[in-house]
Amino acid sequence: MAKKPPPRVAAQPQKKQGGVNKIVVLMIVAALVPFSLPTAIIVAPCLFPTLGAYFSERGNNRYAWLCVGGLNFSGVVPTLFGLWFGVHTMDEALRLLSDATVLFWSYATAAIGWGIYKAMPPLVANWMSFSTERRVAGLKAAQRKLVDDWGDDVRKKG
Amino acid sequence: MAESDSDAEENPQEVSQPAGPPGVLRERYFVRSNQPLPDLSMPNAEAFAAEDKRDANRSLYALICRPELPARVNVMRAMRGVSGLGLQQLVEWGAMSWPPAGRQCLAVVYEKPAGKRVMANLKGEIRRVDEYEIGRKVIDPLVNGIKEMIGRGITHRAIRPTNLYYMDSAGERLAFGDCVTSPPALDQAAVFETVESGMANPIGRGSGTYADDLYSLGVTLVFLLLGRNPVAQYDDDAILGLKIKHGSYATLVGDERLPLPMIEVLRGLLCDDPTQRWDLEALLMWQQGRRLSPLQPRVEKRAARGFPFQGREYFNCRELAAAYSRHWDLALPPVLEGKLELWLRRAIEDKERAQAVADVVRGALNATGDKKIASDVMLAKILIMLDPTAPIRYKGFNVMPDGFGSALAVLLGRRGDTRLLVEMVMREVPSLWFEGSADKRRPDTSQTEGNFRELRNFLTTMGMGFGMERCLYELNDGMPCQSQLLGEEYVVELKELLPALNTAALKQSNTKQVPVDRHIAAFMAARARSDINRNLVSINDPDPGKALMALINLLAVFQYRLGPESLPGLAAWIGALCQPVVAGYHSREKRKELEKEIPKLVRKGSIVEIYNLIDDAGAREHDHQGFGWAQAQYQAAEDEIKRIQLDGDDRAKEAERVGKQAAAVTGILIGMITVTITVILTVW
Repeated sequence: MAKKPPPRVAAQPQKKQGGVNKIVVLMIVAALVPFSLPTAIIVAPCLFPTLGAYFSERGNNRYAWLCVGGLNFSGVVPTLFGLWFGVHTMDEALRLLSDATVLFWSYATAAIGWGIYKAMPPLVANWMSFSTERRVAGLKAAQRKLVDDWGDDVRKKG
Repeated sequence: MAESDSDAEENPQEVSQPAGPPGVLRERYFVRSNQPLPDLSMPNAEAFAAEDKRDANRSLYALICRPELPARVNVMRAMRGVSGLGLQQLVEWGAMSWPPAGRQCLAVVYEKPAGKRVMANLKGEIRRVDEYEIGRKVIDPLVNGIKEMIGRGITHRAIRPTNLYYMDSAGERLAFGDCVTSPPALDQAAVFETVESGMANPIGRGSGTYADDLYSLGVTLVFLLLGRNPVAQYDDDAILGLKIKHGSYATLVGDERLPLPMIEVLRGLLCDDPTQRWDLEALLMWQQGRRLSPLQPRVEKRAARGFPFQGREYFNCRELAAAYSRHWDLALPPVLEGKLELWLRRAIEDKERAQAVADVVRGALNATGDKKIASDVMLAKILIMLDPTAPIRYKGFNVMPDGFGSALAVLLGRRGDTRLLVEMVMREVPSLWFEGSADKRRPDTSQTEGNFRELRNFLTTMGMGFGMERCLYELNDGMPCQSQLLGEEYVVELKELLPALNTAALKQSNTKQVPVDRHIAAFMAARARSDINRNLVSINDPDPGKALMALINLLAVFQYRLGPESLPGLAAWIGALCQPVVAGYHSREKRKELEKEIPKLVRKGSIVEIYNLIDDAGAREHDHQGFGWAQAQYQAAEDEIKRIQLDGDDRAKEAERVGKQAAAVTGILIGMITVTITVILTVW
């Protein structure tokens, strides 16, 4: 029996739709920029590490930008809130940007994000190894109990 | 051929006087081992003074049987307590511990004769019995004795002047002596046996029929009338030859002058044709005075010319067959060369028999396989053709069908060679005899024939409970179990086996020895009322656990049926052997439980309960299922461990992925918390 051809026709519209969504989002963001230019002036340089994380990672599991981004954003948020609830002007934005502590906190939190991102996989690996060993030990103990109760013959396949 | 054991009677062994405790039979009869009575001894049983605990004035003596010989237990059972004219009363019998032998022996207690043996030995002379007194003093009591025995379905087979006693001191009351302490007719000289029985080896003469007893009575009467042995100068072979040639009457009476009435009765009793021989009815009629016409002796047809064989010429078939039987290997060439056929055709003028012989010879010559075996079977067939009333004859060993058992027992008891008997059965010589024999007077022929077929089956099966031992006990009801495991115990009946094993267990030092061997297994199979062949097959199982279970089952069944309730010695023996059975359970818990319970049951002496404990089918099934479940669990755990150990790379990848995801979630959460805190601080 002949194999059915792969469903190429069905895949193409999905890809096209994803691209459309991206363009729409970018257009909305671009449209909002003129109305919040001071915010953009702060966000763009401060969230630079997040952008770097997004583009620097390769492979299937690209989660660095989320981790770095989360912490990077937490470093920027106080400055943004000061801007939004203070004087939301270009001058104020440029003044804040010229303040070294603003960039320091945003970049420092990003570095902490990177640290967490790098430290977490070995920690998880250790935890998984520990739980596996416990599982094996439990199974071996159960086997020993079976041998004690039924003799060495229990090792033989029935 | 017929060498006899009767000489032992004539030369009683020198009597030693061992001091020691008496043997006690059934807690009533004391047998004094230091008071031997050589005058009352039998060739195979020594006599000792005996005493009845309840009646010290009773005059008794006991015969001690040889353990290696099969006593006639069925005759003992039938004759116990029987008293009558012509019979010496058999008071009691049974196994008892006999100090001089250092073991248990079968003892037979008899009423002690006040007088002596009628004839001390067969070569001596005695006072002739008067022709006017012989009827009252001899014939009346002896015929009554035979009549009593016929009424009980048994034969005496030891009727001879040296086994007749005067029961009173006046010499008026004559009675037969013992006939139960050895196999039938074993101690008879050939002169007292019919031609057919005389041709058989003494150990294989068999119980015969009452016609054989009447013949022996006839010979005994001749001895008493003449006061001596008329053929004392001849040996057994010569007497047999004379009987074949001239007939029994002519051989024994010859030219002696006897009273006319006695000639009549002697011709009747000594008739060589079993169908013509006087029976009890004829004898009773004669006693009552009715005179029958005297039988004329009929001798076999004489050949026109003799058949030369081994330096002699033979003029009739019976003589020649007897000679062939004596010189088996030398008989084959003339038969195979056709000389016998030619002689039968021309000298005997029996064309039918000559043709039958020719056919058998041709069959043997054309036979495929072992030529020697074919030749032997051929000669056996031809001997049956030449003398159909003769015993079963094979390679010089002659045995009556009903004497096969005693022959086997005596040979095994004497550590003799039983190969001939085995060959005889395996080559189905008895079947040939039953096909060709003219001996149709015995009512039990078909049963005996069937027995031989069964013997062949036993011999072809090699395991415990079969083989030669099984044949021994099947054919000899009175044969005590010959097992070495029983030591000095004398076991004739199955109910005596377990107590004997119980006693033997106390002396058993080899803890690995099972309480069964070939003799015990065969004894159990032969004596059990039910068919235990299936159990015997299990006893021979190569798996020791299964074999032991089958044995314990058998012993438990016998204890349940026959008792006694407590057998601590045997139970301990079995308990010590239960390890393989306990090991048959997989569950360690169950094993511990059994190891705790068995000693309790051993103390109780119950093999039945030990068997029930270790052969709990439910527990065994539960154990089996539990073990299967445990094996599956073990295997599942093993598979799981292997899987975990093999999945190392995948797990590293998984850890990497999960770690990154966790970091991402952490980052987002920190971001969200920061936003929340900032909002709260700003708005507050």
